[in-house]
Amino acid sequence: MKALRRFARRLVASALGHRDDDRVREELTEHLALLTDEYVRAGVPLEEARRRARLKVGAIDATTEAHRDEQRLRWLEDLGSDLRYGLRTLRRTPGFTVIAIVTLALGIGANTAVFSLLNSLVLRPLPVRDPDRLALIANGAWSYPLWEQIKARENELFDGALAWSAQRFDLSEGGLAAPVDGAYVSGRFFDVLGVSAERGRTLTPADDSASAPDGPVAVISHRYWRAHFGGAEDVIGRRITVQRVPFTVIGVMPAAFFGVDVGQTTDVMMPIAAAPIIQGSDGVLRDADSWWLEILVRLKPRQDLAQATNALRGVEPQIQAALVTRRVMDPLTLVPAAAGKSDLRTTFETPLVAMVVAVGLVLLVACANVAGLAFERAVARRHELGVRLALGGSRARLARLVFSESLIVAVTGAMLGLAFAVWSSALLVQRLNTWRNTISLDLGIDWRVLTFTTMLACVSAVVAGLAPVLGVKRVAPSEALRNAGRTITGDRRFIVRGTLVVAQIAVSLVLVTAAGLFLRTFASLNQLPLGFAPAPLLLAELDLRRTPSEARGPLVERLRDAVTTIPGVNAVAVSTVQPLTGGGWGDRQVVIGDGPMGRYDRSRPILWMNATTPGWFRTMGMAMKKGRDFETGDRVGGVPVAIVNEAFVRQYLSGHDAIGQTVRLGFDAQTRREIIGVVSDAVYTSPRDGMTATMYVPMAQQVPDGLSVAVLTLDVARSQHATAERDIAAALLRVDPAVEFTFRTFDQLVDATVTQERLVAMLSGFFGAFALLLASIGLYGIVAQAVRARRAEIGLRMALGAQPAGIMRLVFHRIGVLIAVGLAIGLGISLWAARFVAPLLFHVEARDPATFITAAATLVAVGALAVWVPARRAARLDPATVLREG
Amino acid sequence: MPMAKRDVHQGTLALMVLKTLDVLGPLHGYGIARRIEQISGDLLAVNQGTLYPVLLKLEHEDAIASDWGTSDNNRRARFYRLTAAGRRRLRTETQEWAQTTALMDRFITVKAEDLA
Repeated sequence: MKALRRFARRLVASALGHRDDDRVREELTEHLALLTDEYVRAGVPLEEARRRARLKVGAIDATTEAHRDEQRLRWLEDLGSDLRYGLRTLRRTPGFTVIAIVTLALGIGANTAVFSLLNSLVLRPLPVRDPDRLALIANGAWSYPLWEQIKARENELFDGALAWSAQRFDLSEGGLAAPVDGAYVSGRFFDVLGVSAERGRTLTPADDSASAPDGPVAVISHRYWRAHFGGAEDVIGRRITVQRVPFTVIGVMPAAFFGVDVGQTTDVMMPIAAAPIIQGSDGVLRDADSWWLEILVRLKPRQDLAQATNALRGVEPQIQAALVTRRVMDPLTLVPAAAGKSDLRTTFETPLVAMVVAVGLVLLVACANVAGLAFERAVARRHELGVRLALGGSRARLARLVFSESLIVAVTGAMLGLAFAVWSSALLVQRLNTWRNTISLDLGIDWRVLTFTTMLACVSAVVAGLAPVLGVKRVAPSEALRNAGRTITGDRRFIVRGTLVVAQIAVSLVLVTAAGLFLRTFASLNQLPLGFAPAPLLLAELDLRRTPSEARGPLVERLRDAVTTIPGVNAVAVSTVQPLTGGGWGDRQVVIGDGPMGRYDRSRPILWMNATTPGWFRTMGMAMKKGRDFETGDRVGGVPVAIVNEAFVRQYLSGHDAIGQTVRLGFDAQTRREIIGVVSDAVYTSPRDGMTATMYVPMAQQVPDGLSVAVLTLDVARSQHATAERDIAAALLRVDPAVEFTFRTFDQLVDATVTQERLVAMLSGFFGAFALLLASIGLYGIVAQAVRARRAEIGLRMALGAQPAGIMRLVFHRIGVLIAVGLAIGLGISLWAARFVAPLLFHVEARDPATFITAAATLVAVGALAVWVPARRAARLDPATVLREG
Repeated sequence: MPMAKRDVHQGTLALMVLKTLDVLGPLHGYGIARRIEQISGDLLAVNQGTLYPVLLKLEHEDAIASDWGTSDNNRRARFYRLTAAGRRRLRTETQEWAQTTALMDRFITVKAEDLA
């Protein structure tokens, strides 16, 4: 405590520049006078008395200074003058300063950008009250009846619970859809989270009931309010159309609140009770097998996760008993949810951590570059530093002087880097957008990001500043004071810079290898067979939820007929599921022939399903292997039929003949479908999952209630997509002015399945290239320096008959050793680190020899180029000129 | 040649200053230096260059306080006096010092037969 108080007092004294030197001086003068008096009294003559007193008291100035040191923070004031001096010397060499600062700014900026992504996606807690007390019921979604059971016990088990379901809603008035991220939320959603509206009010339990007093109401996000209502003052009470249903806006959330799904902004929130209004049936609220809600609970104060989980499991038997479901629940488990819930996080957490490491390595390479440059400067300043040493400067003080330069460079670099990070992280987030997800992350600079960047600046300053400081340590006053004319370059100098270059090459090789692996992963994902011909296909997804269920089938037929006649449209077919969306329609309970149905088992693979119209396979470019396609005669009332793919035959029939076999599925156990055809395999969920077992049923036999979406698959030449889209839209609207549709191409769908890999490949490619560039600059620097230092020697050699080729060989030989050592180390690290990137790879071995060799070859080629330029300059030296100089 | 005067051990000067102020009451810097020299029988030479930093340090540590006053021969001088904290500190440091010297005494006077 005392030490702290003294420190504070000294700090204040330093900061205020407050000096009481006068006081000490006065006291010492006083002391001197008293002493003189005493000597005089003892009989010493006045002059002699003065002399003796002065001798005894000592130099007043020295004492005053000692006193000043005692009173103030000497190092702080010295630091100030060091920094001022550093600034002056940096200003004298703008070239070095700019290169060093830009290098570090890019390095630190890239680090900060990746970190701020990681921060906002993984680390930052939700902007709600006590986010640490939030917990999520783990692994999956839950049904509304189950939520009702939890809700009934929310205060007994926890400090409240909330449920929500993230959805995309069409907020357009008609025609082309205007999808917006939204959610159905429980009545106490905002209350349990502890957030209140910025304008108007939030939802209440009354709103989330069948008899809502204010009718259908919605709360909108700050962003939507600004974008859609232009921030209008009178927004409360205005109307919005959600899936063509009018809702009244009752509240606007604060700007910081984006919902509980990290990675998107929930723009419109409606009570769960509004789901039946939008979907046209309350089936979703009654069905215990419809899992669509996520549940968060708020722990009681001092209740920990294990206690809460136990409490929940305690009532699980009662909950299970109250539900009419074919699904046996696993034991319910709570997981921490302070940072909300995020599908994006699940996908990107591992790659982001990998990128944090990669970009950290880039910064190391950047620091090594700056260190090399700074070292060269320190060596060039040997003379000046020697003079300082000779005049009594301590080595530590001198080291600090040199170090202050790298500190200035690092801090400036960090500040520029922060600006670069803000820009580039926003760019990165944009690259994550797909047709399906509009990613929105709060990338604001918070204390975590600031701490991280500050740390980086300090680390950079130390790493980049260490080499020149070591250089200073070796300076001897005598050496420096000697006339620094033509000196023989010591090997030591080469060793310091050589070590830096070896490190750079090693790290660059690691990064380039990683980039190669990720690029190959991305490439192999893109080359995966889809099983159909995507190029000429145009998709129009029709949203049928606003049409009464019995009218949906006929409407789809009329819409299809309306577009068949459009010029340019070669073929049209309809399906209920759009492939490549990652999910779809399927069942795990599959019985061939007369076997027993068995229990629902989550560990069984899913049999994916699709309902199609005749001609769909042909339009998609899939081949009928056996049997026949659906015909117009396959309608309700006829024999239920199905077509399966070859993967189905392999998986469920062990390759036996499929035609004539019957299939029953758990969700519709009474229907026995007869297999009438086998079709070639096609990707259903994502190219990564490969060819999964799939069963197709005729759309005409499909239960109309399940038909909420229909996809028109159109065969249109790619060049005519734009005009066809316009004509199709017009045709659809002529049939039904209220129809809702969205156009898509398979390119968009395929793209969305590889977002993560594309981002990783792009980032690692960028980092690899950046490291390569830095390493080549580093190499160039050391070679240019070596050539400059050995000009005289080279000139002499040439005068004695050395050929330019020989000189080149001389230079290359020396640098070649560095490159070889760097590559060997880099290779070792890459082989070791390979196991960490393995989970991110696809169809590429983590130790893929081709990638490793290519990476090494790239490095050698770039390195050779960086060496070649200065080496060539050396070989072209005119010996006569060089020798005359010396 | 007179016996060489000894310099004050680092750290002991503070204790001497405190004790001097405790015994003699408020004193100015010169007075403190003189008293210490006198008490030591002029065996110690108090270096002014070390005395003033020690006075300042003690003042910063709130062991002593200072005011301007008038010295015997009507000069303006800064008078130092002991504070309550300083008195406590004097007590503990005196004890510690006594223990240390007692311990050192036993070591120095030890004879082979004592350890037998």
